[in-house]
Amino acid sequence: MPKLIIDDIPVEVAEGTTVLEAAQSVDIPIPHFCWHPALGKAGACRVCAVKMLEGPVKGIQMSCMLPVQEGMVVSTTDPEAVAMRRAVIEWLMINHPHDCPVCDEGGECQLQDFTIAGGHGIRRYSGKKRTHVNQYLGPYIEHEMNRCIQCYRCVRFYQEYAGGTDFGVMGSAGRVYFGRFQEGQLESPFSGNLVDICPTGVFTDKTARFRARYWDYDMAPSVCPHCSLGCNTTPVARYRELLKTVARRNEAVNDWFICDRGRFSNSVVNDPLRPRRAVVDSRETGVAEALEALQLRIRDIEEQYGPGSIAVVGSSRMAQEAAELLPQLAHRIGAGALCFSTTRKEQVETLALLELLSAGRSASQQDVRNSDCIVIYGCDPLNEAPMMAMAARQAWRAGAKVYLIGQGISLPCEVTECTALEDVPLAEAERPIIICNVSVRVELLDKLQESHSHLKIAGLFPAANSFGAAQVMRETGAISLEEALADGEIKGIIAIEADIPAALLDGIPFVAALDWLAAAAVQAAQIVIPTTAWVEMDGSYINYEGRAQQFSKVMNPGVPIKGLDPNGHPPHSHRTVAPGGEALPAWQLLATLIKLLDDDSRGLS
Amino acid sequence: MMYDTIDIALLLAKIALVFFVILTLAAYLVFAERKVLAWIQDRKGPNRVGPFGLLQPLADLIKLLTKEDFRPIGADKWLFYLAPAMAAIPAIMIFAVIPFGAPLTLFGHTVLLQVSDLNVGLLLFMALSSIAVYGVALGGWASNSKYALLGSIRGLAQLISYELSMGLSLVPVVMLARSFRLSDIVNAQSGCWFIVYQPLAFVIFLISIAAECKRIPFELPEAEGELVAGFHTEYSGMRFGLFFVGEYINIIVLGGLAATFFLGGWHGPFLPPVVWFSAKVLAFAFLFIWMRGTLPRLRYDQLMHFGWKILTPLALVNIVVTGWWLVLRG
Amino acid sequence: MKILSDIAALLTGMWITWKHMFRRPVTIQYPEEKRQPYPRYRARIVLTRDPDGGERCVACQLCSAACPVDCISMQPTEDTDGRRSAEWFRINFARCIFCGLCAEACPTLAIQMTPDFEICTRDIMDLVYEKEDLLIDGCGKSSHYNFYRHAGIGVTQPRGNGAEELPPVDVRGLLP
Repeated sequence: MPKLIIDDIPVEVAEGTTVLEAAQSVDIPIPHFCWHPALGKAGACRVCAVKMLEGPVKGIQMSCMLPVQEGMVVSTTDPEAVAMRRAVIEWLMINHPHDCPVCDEGGECQLQDFTIAGGHGIRRYSGKKRTHVNQYLGPYIEHEMNRCIQCYRCVRFYQEYAGGTDFGVMGSAGRVYFGRFQEGQLESPFSGNLVDICPTGVFTDKTARFRARYWDYDMAPSVCPHCSLGCNTTPVARYRELLKTVARRNEAVNDWFICDRGRFSNSVVNDPLRPRRAVVDSRETGVAEALEALQLRIRDIEEQYGPGSIAVVGSSRMAQEAAELLPQLAHRIGAGALCFSTTRKEQVETLALLELLSAGRSASQQDVRNSDCIVIYGCDPLNEAPMMAMAARQAWRAGAKVYLIGQGISLPCEVTECTALEDVPLAEAERPIIICNVSVRVELLDKLQESHSHLKIAGLFPAANSFGAAQVMRETGAISLEEALADGEIKGIIAIEADIPAALLDGIPFVAALDWLAAAAVQAAQIVIPTTAWVEMDGSYINYEGRAQQFSKVMNPGVPIKGLDPNGHPPHSHRTVAPGGEALPAWQLLATLIKLLDDDSRGLS
Repeated sequence: MMYDTIDIALLLAKIALVFFVILTLAAYLVFAERKVLAWIQDRKGPNRVGPFGLLQPLADLIKLLTKEDFRPIGADKWLFYLAPAMAAIPAIMIFAVIPFGAPLTLFGHTVLLQVSDLNVGLLLFMALSSIAVYGVALGGWASNSKYALLGSIRGLAQLISYELSMGLSLVPVVMLARSFRLSDIVNAQSGCWFIVYQPLAFVIFLISIAAECKRIPFELPEAEGELVAGFHTEYSGMRFGLFFVGEYINIIVLGGLAATFFLGGWHGPFLPPVVWFSAKVLAFAFLFIWMRGTLPRLRYDQLMHFGWKILTPLALVNIVVTGWWLVLRG
Repeated sequence: MKILSDIAALLTGMWITWKHMFRRPVTIQYPEEKRQPYPRYRARIVLTRDPDGGERCVACQLCSAACPVDCISMQPTEDTDGRRSAEWFRINFARCIFCGLCAEACPTLAIQMTPDFEICTRDIMDLVYEKEDLLIDGCGKSSHYNFYRHAGIGVTQPRGNGAEELPPVDVRGLLP
């Protein structure tokens, strides 16, 4: 453990740590562009210069490239180092365009920050600026090569970290160009991270092009709902419109990055077809009135068809808070069935995988990254949960063997194809992990676990809160909707954020839907009450490994201002509630409904 | 019979005249004050209503009359309503004893240009000016407001203190005229004005009446920088108007008294007596306005200190000196 | 004698106010007499155009960020020719304090202040100015500046043809 002194503060760090990291460990910031905690060092930008006062090396050094050695005395504030950094910024700005006002990175740009911090304001260089021709990189990423400062972060991420092959670096010296050989859409399912990782505005989010500035963003820590991994994100909204999603670091889960599915699936929140107002018998009404109508209708159905004629249907995409309240609602109205799944197969598989994982054996993404033997068993991580494939690649980069059992599955790393689990040398591995999904044959893994006590399993569920919903399912003995409808006793369905196939709703006299998506149940329902999307509420999801993660409210619900008024600008009127802003979180609606039912029954008795 | 009827008719006519002139004058004094202050401050002053803004007092009157008559919660209803009248009426009543011109001979009658030639006119003035204190004290107290109460307490203490020096400064005048009758005092100055004999008494009287009509530098009961508007903070509309007009009536009345006691009343060469008297009154009014445009407000302890420790002893000394002088002169 | 100097002080004050009574008033009778404010007077805000007739405003949001009373709001958008412009741009003059920070912040010299201070209306909603009310057909105070000529990206001219720019790099060239 070498000891060194940085700015008069003694630091002791592990062997192999760079001076930059050592300084960060004691909260001394050193500016940097090319260095990134996930990508390591490149020594390309020269902006992390520090002065070595004493020790084995002396003079100006790049702190990101220099491993710490015993007896180093480092100064980050030495005039020489400061002058060096200032000069480097000025060099970088020589070719940087003067277009911050029309750049989407403006306001959240590292280059902007360091230029201001370095005090560079007036251009002294009188020569001309180098320019480049941009490329079309698909509908998601905007390319503006003139802004490039040659830090190589993009290509290091794209090729080394994410395993992409269609994007690279061309040219030499001052003509270095980052792009594809031929114009076209970036192929990697992680290409969106270029936006986050670029320290300036070469890569910007095309879906949120020219929409808002950093200081106007509505932002809050959130969790991605698009698969069961529960990657941490920061959705960004403005004027009631979800503009973009950026990755939020969580070492145990997604680390620094997220996949393109999580990043670019924002339009679903802004969908004009979303149910925005409560509807009772095709008549728009308020949420409170609709809840009362629903309560009365529940009583009517019970009187007409007898008790137990209503099914309460939830799903694995609802927040855990709502999933927990669902059994209570079913109990209050004496429901004939409580369902979280549509088919019996789905129900059985989910519960079986839950049993398998409940033994405390589930592997986090961090576990996968640190594993030395990974088995992809009958699942397609790149499609089902892309970040899991990314984690497997990181393990592979660190030297792990990746085994694949299954046909026609591609992974961003080298794999050894096997036909059966027995072929995998699990016993030789120290931290083996099997990645599977709900279709796995559970008995097999159960047996395997008995013989390999250190084996961990990453079981990919179909939806964001499948694990949590399955737990409620197991505790309450919920059945699948298919089974519930089999005997024809069910005459009413209350669907709460449930994706019920339209065929199952045929012939059901009464359907009520609480949802924020225009699901089939919403189309068929007599009573519709709008709920909020995950970015419009506080709640939590339990991810595939049983990790409960809270997400916070990012924006207020309501119809986006964009397109609200035919004049093209927001209306000239004052309202206390935004149009379509009456939507409430499902758990809040359920709690209100339960209270209404309670009050009613107390009034009757 | 005939004699009595004419007397009464004349009396009523004089009362009506005095009322009309004083109220009009008071209204225009407000206007004049605004104009003069504006000139002092390099502004133009009111000039929008009528030619040169001459109808401004009328507009003010209409505004005051149409404003809401507001009474704060917890205010003493009767006292609150009565106080403005108690402030304005005694001020007008004092004018009953002031001779504003030389006696006229009309239809064979000698008509005094004075509502009532009381033999204790000076004492009546002292009494009425003391009563006017009630308006301030009760108005402030009845408002149920801390500012009004503080203003009224200040007013009470200030008026009583300065009444003393004012009364004492008038003793030499009475000694010189050997009468409390105001017409006698005026006549006693037909040769030489008392200001010549009694410059000190005049200065004391002038300072005291400035305090008496609550003008800068003695406007502590109102003190808008500290107490919003002092004792009449809570008043609105015409009730506020009464306090306001009462203050200007006070200026006229006290100006008239100062003229009567020290400047020979209506005496003066060349011009008719009424014109002389009016000119002297207006000169005092202008002096007060001018002072308001120039001087800052005193601190309260300075005010009391000045009244009790300087003016009152000086007035007493002045009496003694006057007495000695009269005795020595025989 | 202190009292004498005090009296002298009083009389000096009286003399000064007396002199002022006869000075010419400085008042300007506003609706009848009007004073033309100086060109740099800070009143009604306008959005100007560049010398080529294009909108100068690129909706960069710096004015709304600088505004201390949050009276400016806008929505940027991308035009078909690649220019960034305001889809809508709103200044609430009922809230504006005419501090000029927006004009100072504007990097494209689009937002400028004019000497027109007479914008009172009866209805407060009439003081909410939209882009069509703000945009003028002129360059305002700086008649030569065109942001896109200096921006360094090709929007109004082909890439590499702007001021102080080299032609685009041929990345496939083999020369060093």
